[in-house]
Amino acid sequence: MNPFALIIIMLTVVLGTLIVMTSSHWLMVWIGFEMNMLAIIPILMKKYNPRSMEACTKYFLTQATASMLLMLAITINLVHSGQWSTMKPLDPTASIVMTLAMAMKLGLAPFHFWVPEVAQGIQLSSGLILLTWQKLAPMSILYQISPTINPTLILTLSILSVAVGGWGGLNQTQLRKIMAYSSIAHMGWMTAAMMFSPMMALLNLTVYIVLTTTTLVMFMMNSTTTTLSLSHTWNKTPLLTTAILATLLSLGGLPPLSGFLPKWMIIQELTKNDNIILPTFMVIMALLNLFFYMRLTYSTSLTTFPSTNNMKLKWQLNPIKTTTYLPPLIILSTLILPLSPMLILLE
Amino acid sequence: MALIYMNMTLAFTVSLLGLLMYRSHLMSSLLCLEGMMLSLFVTMAITILNSHLILASMIPIIMLVFAACEAALGLSLLVMVSNTYGVDHVQNLNLLQC
Repeated sequence: MNPFALIIIMLTVVLGTLIVMTSSHWLMVWIGFEMNMLAIIPILMKKYNPRSMEACTKYFLTQATASMLLMLAITINLVHSGQWSTMKPLDPTASIVMTLAMAMKLGLAPFHFWVPEVAQGIQLSSGLILLTWQKLAPMSILYQISPTINPTLILTLSILSVAVGGWGGLNQTQLRKIMAYSSIAHMGWMTAAMMFSPMMALLNLTVYIVLTTTTLVMFMMNSTTTTLSLSHTWNKTPLLTTAILATLLSLGGLPPLSGFLPKWMIIQELTKNDNIILPTFMVIMALLNLFFYMRLTYSTSLTTFPSTNNMKLKWQLNPIKTTTYLPPLIILSTLILPLSPMLILLE
Repeated sequence: MALIYMNMTLAFTVSLLGLLMYRSHLMSSLLCLEGMMLSLFVTMAITILNSHLILASMIPIIMLVFAACEAALGLSLLVMVSNTYGVDHVQNLNLLQC
């Protein structure tokens, strides 16, 4: 794409999200979502082929429906309370409709059907933006309305998302679909935390964004989209296999890596409020997530998978790919657990 | 509650169901998207005029502008689908399934 057009479109995506996050008038929130959606469609269509076209169409339909539901919630709030401020508590009906709209935007179950298909049809770099940046705006709205969210609804969304994210990713070999199901499961954990402590949901979002960025940048470095081509990493860049191992295990939530921190905090918040069955269920479903990450690491890092190359290592030519900030991202995604006492600053 | 609110809520619900349960054409989904926007426009305009929120009188028009942009984007996607497959049937969008 023309670089000037790309810069303007990316800035519009960023501006849309920032408008959603910083506005105090509900109409501006809706406008921010619209700008975000309008500008991300060309990003999703970076490569013009029928798959990306189909991904864009599906993304557009679900996000447009969610925008209209958001507008319905805003209108119901206007009818019942007569004001447009985001600081005031929402009317209960408006809160339910708005939660459903944000669930559609995030890809929570039972509105998750578009996430694997859209993630599959687009480039890896577009998938990076879709799975990380696009989650910021809906999560910020959920954070703002969290005092008035219907607990039953958000609990249902969370349980279904964790279950779907675990079971859905089991039969996948395409890496983008695996990352999509991982996103669904992590969103389920975030909404479960939103009920009791929205700050932990934001912590989970931050750690999830760092982890997903690291994983997708590593996939982009190898230009791999399937498990088979990922398993040839030992032949291209052997050092990366260790990083893939560490990052995928961190994504699965294993201590002592970073991905354990949000899960630990969320379980602590849930059990502080005398909720025991929910975290037990969520942890058991997270084991399913861990299984398919382990399957990836098995074929990538723990074994030298047979490849068609007769040499021990491919030619190490000058690298053309720009791997943006990969070393700091790997550090952040594996080693920040010792910083957990700093969370006391949030109190 | 005035009858108009129930009327427009029903219109929104019917359009939403039409968006979610179409038979084969993508165009009908886009039309239902516009139907939803229309019902919200009427509800918002009536509420604003009824409560004499004078400064908010431009909000339905702003909403109309953004919904029109969205419809244009949807139509361009429809044109691209139609360029590839000849018709806009949604059964054709089956490349990305597992």
